[in-house]
Amino acid sequence: MDLTAALLRAAAARPHVLVASMPGGTPVRLALERELRLRDLPVALTPADADILLVAGPACPELEAAVERLWQDMPAPRRRAHAEDPREVGRAVANARAGLARRESAESAGAHERAGGEAPRGRHSGGGGHGGGGDDMDSPAGLPMAGQGPDRDGLTLDRLHVSLGPFLPDWPHGLTVRLTLQGDVVQRAEVAAPPAGGGPAAASFWTQPWARATAGERVQAGEAARRRAAAHLDSLGRFLAVAGWPAAATSARRLRDDLLGGASRESVSPRAARLARRVGGSRTLYWLTRGLGPLSAREAAAAGVAGPAARADGDVPARYRLWLTTVREDVDRLEERDPLDPARHEPPRGPLPTPRTPSEALSPPRTPPAELPAPRTPSAALPAPAAPSVALAAVLPRLLEGAELAAARLIVASLDPDPDETAALTVGTAHE
Amino acid sequence: MSDAAPWWSVLAAPALLVALALLAVAADGVLSARAAGRPFALSAVARPLLEVPRLLVAQPRRLPAPDMPLWRIGVVTVPVAAVLSVMVVPFGPFAVSGLSVGLVWFNAMEVLTWAGLWLAGWGPNAAFSLVGGYRYLAQGLAYELPLMFALMTPGIGAQSLRVGDIAAAQGGLWFAVWMPVAFAVHLWSVLAFGFTGPFAYPAGGDIAGGVFGETSGPERLLLSAGRWLWLAAGSAMAVPLFLGGGAGPWLPGWAWSLVKTVAVLALLVWARGRLPMIRADRYMEVAWVVLLPLSVLQALVPALVVL
Repeated sequence: MDLTAALLRAAAARPHVLVASMPGGTPVRLALERELRLRDLPVALTPADADILLVAGPACPELEAAVERLWQDMPAPRRRAHAEDPREVGRAVANARAGLARRESAESAGAHERAGGEAPRGRHSGGGGHGGGGDDMDSPAGLPMAGQGPDRDGLTLDRLHVSLGPFLPDWPHGLTVRLTLQGDVVQRAEVAAPPAGGGPAAASFWTQPWARATAGERVQAGEAARRRAAAHLDSLGRFLAVAGWPAAATSARRLRDDLLGGASRESVSPRAARLARRVGGSRTLYWLTRGLGPLSAREAAAAGVAGPAARADGDVPARYRLWLTTVREDVDRLEERDPLDPARHEPPRGPLPTPRTPSEALSPPRTPPAELPAPRTPSAALPAPAAPSVALAAVLPRLLEGAELAAARLIVASLDPDPDETAALTVGTAHE
Repeated sequence: MSDAAPWWSVLAAPALLVALALLAVAADGVLSARAAGRPFALSAVARPLLEVPRLLVAQPRRLPAPDMPLWRIGVVTVPVAAVLSVMVVPFGPFAVSGLSVGLVWFNAMEVLTWAGLWLAGWGPNAAFSLVGGYRYLAQGLAYELPLMFALMTPGIGAQSLRVGDIAAAQGGLWFAVWMPVAFAVHLWSVLAFGFTGPFAYPAGGDIAGGVFGETSGPERLLLSAGRWLWLAAGSAMAVPLFLGGGAGPWLPGWAWSLVKTVAVLALLVWARGRLPMIRADRYMEVAWVVLLPLSVLQALVPALVVL
């Protein structure tokens, strides 16, 4: 009996999957999350725990190095797969699992599989950083030592530079926030330029019905309500996972998947009510999150934030409770057949910028064109046609500074900017 | 007073503990299959156990400048301490060791986990692991003092630190009945030293698994095993301390011990999913301002009764 082969087969029966979601890859990520949940394949939180690296969405050259680093950090046996389209997800996972059971995957130069069956790619050398957080910390191994600085209590403590993103579980994919930590208190936060999407400059998955309505297509109000409810449930799933409540996060994600799968109002409504009661009514969750990341309506307006984050007019609990209320309202409107009125029912993260021609977008009144060769920092993209997520990302540094690491993650999750909105905008302006 | 146990109980006790931990893993598998909306299948019971071959075939990774010796010591300490802790827990009339300070032994083993998890977080030389390591210390500061009073309370009631004596002292009335606060604090703290459920703070998803973040292969297996073994060990300890040990009608003592342990374990596995993760910065206040005075008052009750 070949023990190694038997062990490899057993290991391939329930591999852990590390998901690297690309800009514009939301539909693929959703299909993948559903597939993994139904097949009982756990999502890996770090490369150390991963057997399969699954790249979801159109390939993005800018994130290639980061993906490569995740891959380098995974222990053999390992497999890597790429699904560009939601329909490829099942096949990509199945192929990777089949590959994992073969002996070659245990050798350190593991192969790389695409759903389309392209040739394996060789390994890059170097790039020995850690994955997950992509942390650079002081170490005698050729890495820079941490500098020191005064902390909030006047003590001199090491400053640790840690990047959150672009790949982190339950994180807005592609967003990178560079933190300067002392202990686990954020001293400084900086939002890095989001990666440009590799795909066509389509609207974000979550705002598609509105983009289509603006383009003159007839969209039913019920369809938009379905999409917005699913968007909020997606955000809630992420938020609840960050809050360390996996059971509730699973409920939110199941509901999201069923909504996107076309479930009827009768089947979804009681479950939405139950989720709202369980999460919205949880005193523990409220006690754990109250007072975090306060964003008053006035401050939000000043920062250009509209939509639910501004209407919540408060801290983290105010924002997740507003999501829950909106989900319940939207679920009740699933069967509405009137045409969508974008002025009355806004997209999940707030009103979209009015469509402009690329040349108009490139010459906003206050910014001289000379400053626009790389319109990819949120501040550069902010002036004129700002997507709501751009403004959400822009308020992050102020809210994160002084917060403890866990609180910082909860704050980001409670605002949940959608990098696809930003990416769609970036591609729209960058190809000029 | 517990009987002297046969020599093979030194092997049987860890085996039993591992079996209980596996039972908990299986129960958790069924619960999460239900939560995830997968159709019920018997395989849901066994599938989580596929982690064992998966982690055994994983090859070591290279990290920049890890502290390997301390990391390994930390990872091994957690499950080993859990196994050692049950040496003083009587199973029916038998205990591997009838140590006269068994209660202190259990507490000492549980505190060893502090060192173990801290080192497990320190070793990989990665930011999130380190944060996970010191999160456990913060959590420990919060849960430990109420737990120590909760453990002491049945000891005072029985006027002995020997776990067997404490079980025997509950002939008339289970300690859980007249020491409900201590019982609740003990159960709550089992989740804390098992760093699981609402107390998964050191291994939180917000820091990408924390102390688990950089572990792979056999090290990850040991650390996860430690988690479930502690859950089982804490449940087993609750039985002689608060639930009358092996006392009960019809069945022999060992059977009652087993039934009660499984019941406590089931309760804890179920409770894991009921609450969000409690951050130590918020929990500290509750632990010291509410739980600590309550458990001191609770300890006072048997002290007054016994005197």
